Amino acid sequence: MKEYRDRICIAIVGLVFASLVFAAWVLPPKEFSDSERRKLAQFPEFSLAAVRDGSFVEKFERYAQDQFPMRDTFRTVKAFLAYDMYRQLDNNGIYLQDGYAAKLEYPLDEDSVHHAADRFGYIYENFLVDKNVKAYVSIVPDKGYFLAGKNGYLGMDYEKLFSIMQDRMPYAAYIDICGTLDISDYYRTDTHWRQERIVDAAEKIAAGMGSAFSVKYIQRALERPFYGVYYGQSSLPLPAETIYYLTNDVLDGCKVTNYEEGTVGGIYDMDKAAGRDPYEIFLSGARSLMTIENPDCENGRELILFRDSFGSSIAPLLAEGYAKVTLVDIRYLRVDYLDKFLTFDGQDVLFLFSTSVLNHSETLT
Amino acid sequence: MAYLFGLLIERFREKDKISKLLLTLSASGSLAMLGYFKYGDFLIGNFNEMTGLSVPLLRMALPIGISFYTFQILSYTVDIYRGKVAAQRNLIDFAAYVAFFPQLIAGPIVRYSDVANQLKSRTHSLEGGALGVRRFILGLGKKVLIADLLGELCSIFRESDDKSVLFFWLYAVAYSLHIYFDFSGYSDMAIGLGKIFGFRFPENFHYPYISASIREFWQRWHMSLGSWFRDYVYIPLGGNRVSVPRHLWNLLVVWMLTGFWHGAAWNFLAWGLYFAFLLIIEKLWLRRKQNRKGEWGKNRNGERIGNWKGSQIGRHVYVILMLIISFVIFDAASVGQALSYMRAMFGAGGYSLISEEFLYYFRSYGGVLVVAVIGATPLPKKIWSRMRTTSAGGNLSVFAEPLAISAILIACTAYLVDASYHPFLYFRF
Repeated sequence: MKEYRDRICIAIVGLVFASLVFAAWVLPPKEFSDSERRKLAQFPEFSLAAVRDGSFVEKFERYAQDQFPMRDTFRTVKAFLAYDMYRQLDNNGIYLQDGYAAKLEYPLDEDSVHHAADRFGYIYENFLVDKNVKAYVSIVPDKGYFLAGKNGYLGMDYEKLFSIMQDRMPYAAYIDICGTLDISDYYRTDTHWRQERIVDAAEKIAAGMGSAFSVKYIQRALERPFYGVYYGQSSLPLPAETIYYLTNDVLDGCKVTNYEEGTVGGIYDMDKAAGRDPYEIFLSGARSLMTIENPDCENGRELILFRDSFGSSIAPLLAEGYAKVTLVDIRYLRVDYLDKFLTFDGQDVLFLFSTSVLNHSETLT
Repeated sequence: MAYLFGLLIERFREKDKISKLLLTLSASGSLAMLGYFKYGDFLIGNFNEMTGLSVPLLRMALPIGISFYTFQILSYTVDIYRGKVAAQRNLIDFAAYVAFFPQLIAGPIVRYSDVANQLKSRTHSLEGGALGVRRFILGLGKKVLIADLLGELCSIFRESDDKSVLFFWLYAVAYSLHIYFDFSGYSDMAIGLGKIFGFRFPENFHYPYISASIREFWQRWHMSLGSWFRDYVYIPLGGNRVSVPRHLWNLLVVWMLTGFWHGAAWNFLAWGLYFAFLLIIEKLWLRRKQNRKGEWGKNRNGERIGNWKGSQIGRHVYVILMLIISFVIFDAASVGQALSYMRAMFGAGGYSLISEEFLYYFRSYGGVLVVAVIGATPLPKKIWSRMRTTSAGGNLSVFAEPLAISAILIACTAYLVDASYHPFLYFRF
C-alpha cells in the first residue's frame, strides 16, 4: 500500500511538473496580456555584460513569470484561493461586492490631491484670469465611494477630497454630482460609469453651467460582450456586460476632430468596438486634444473640458448645449503648452476629474 | 582554503600545537571572510558614529549562504581537530558538503559527520524520493501559501499610517508566524531535496510554538544552529560545569553571538541578549521546575515534581508572549524602533486601541492566520497520521495524499505566477 502511494505521489507530481516544463518549452511566447493590458516580457538578449550585472537573470525571471504556461488560469486559481479558501477581502487590491468588482482606493493621498489642485490653479492663473471665462469643477466618485465604507472595505476620505478641491479652486463653481449617481451607474467589471446611466449627472452639470440639455436619446447596444479592466484584474470568471451608447440627431450631426491623430469622425468610434477596450468607442478613448463641433447649436457657446477618461462618455451629452466642446487631457498635453493649441476667450471651462485620478495625480503635467 | 586546512590539521593532529595553530588559522580565515562581508559595514558605520569620521562603507554584496557555510566549515575543521571525523580528500565531495544547494541559503547547518558517508555512497529509493517530494512541496507550501501572505500583512502594517495598538499586535503575531513558516519552509524544502538526492539532513524545527519554556523553544527552533553553538561555543567555554558567574558569562557570550549571527545590527544583539536574559531567569529561578527538556514541573521521566503552580495554558502564554516580543525586536529596523513598537503594543505609544485598517486587515488575513496558527501545532499531522492508521483512511490516503500534495504544488504555482501581476494602470484614469 505504501509503495503504491509513493508511486502515485511521484507519478502525479512528476506529471504536473513535466507537463508545465513541456508546455513552457513548446508554447510560443505571448506578446500581450489582455487581462493586465500590458506587454509581456520576452526572452532577454544574452550578453556577458548582462549576466555580469545581473540584468539578464532579472529579465529572465520576469520573462519566465510572464510566459508561464496557463498563466491566466493559474491567476484564476490564485484568486479563488484568496477569496474562497482564505476568505480574503480583496485580491491584488480588487474586491467584489454586490456583483461589482472595484479597486481599493485607499488611503486618501492629500499631497496628490493638492498636486492636482496646483495644476488646475496653474491653468487658471496662466490662461483663464481676465479672459472672461466661467470656470466650473466637478468630481466623479469612483466605485469605492458607493461600495467601500458601508461594506467594510477600506475607502479614502472622499469628503475630505471634495473639500480640498473646493477650497483650492475658489475660482471655479463646484457642481456636486454625487447625489445623481449610485453604484448601478457603473459597469460591474470596469472602473468607468455607464453612459446610458449618467444622463442625470450630465443634466446637473449642464444646469450648473447654465447650458441647454435634452434628455431624448436612443439607446443602442454594442454587440460585442464587454469585459472591463477589473475582469482581467480580478482573474475571476465574471459575467460579460453590454456597452450601451446614446444617440440622437444632434449627436449624429456632431463632428469630432482628433488632433492627436489628425482624424475627423463622429462621436462614437466604432472601430474601437472590436479593440482591446471597447469603452474606447466613446471619443476614441484617452486622447490629448479633441473637439466636438455641434452644427445644430446656434448659441455660439464653447466649452473647454479638462477631463480624464470619465469625460469621454459624458462629453457627448454636454455637447448639445455648445457649438464647440474642446476636450483636453493634461496627462498627455503639457499645461504650459496649452496656449499653443487653445485660445481662451469667454468660454465655459469645466474641470471634470475622477477621484481616482485626483488621488494619483502624478500623471498630471 | 578549508579543504587544505582540513588535510593539514589531520596530518598534524598528533602535534597539538601545530594542529591548534592550523585550526586557529582556518577558523580565523573563515570568520574574517564572514566578518568582512557581513559585518564590515556595521563596524565601519559604528566606528564613524563614535569618532565622527566618515570612513566609506564597503557596500559589498553578501555572498549567498555565507553564514551557513562558514559554520559548516568551522564545524568540519574543529571536528577533524577533535578527531571526530576524517578529512575529506576529494575536493568535489568537500565542495558538495560546503555548497550543496538545497541547504546552502537557509540551512539546516549540516555537520560533516552527518553526511560524510552519504557523500560517498547514498541510497536512492522510491520511498526516499516520494518522501523528499512530499517534504519539499510541504515546505514550498509553508513558504508560499502561508509565510509570504503573512509577510504581505507585515509589509502593509509597516507602511500603514493608521496604526493602532491592536494593529501592532496583529503585526507582531503575523511576523512571529511568518518567520517560522518562512524559515521552517526553507528547511523542509532543503531536507526534501536532500532526500531526493539520497541525503539525510538533520531536522531544524519541531513545532517550536508549542514549547512550554524558552529553553524548550530553543530545542525546537533552528535546532541545527542551537546545537552548533552548544557544541562549538558553549561547551568549549565550559558550559554549565563552571561557577555561576562564569556560567552566566558563557550564556551571554553564546546568545550575543547567536544574535549577531542572524544579522549585523544592534537589534539582533539585543534579540540574542533578550533570550540570554530569559534563559538565565529560567535557569536561576525556575530551574528546579524544569527538566532537561525544558519542561516545567516535570522530572526527566516526565513525572510531575516541585510546586510549579502555573497552569499549562499559563506557561504557553508566557512563552508565546515572550516570543512575540522577541520577534518584534528581531524585525525592527533599530533598537529604538523595537522599543517604540513594544511601547505601542502595551498602550504607551499614544495610539488608539483599534483602527479602520486593523479591522480590515484582521478580517482579510484572518483565514491565513487561523491556518498558520493550526499549522504551527502538531494537530494536522496527528489527524493525518491517525486517519492513515484506520483501514479506510489508509486506502483513501493512497490517492488522497498524492492529490493533496499536487493540489499544494498547483496552489503554490498559482501564487508564484500571480506574483508577476503588474497591471498597466492607465485604465484607472
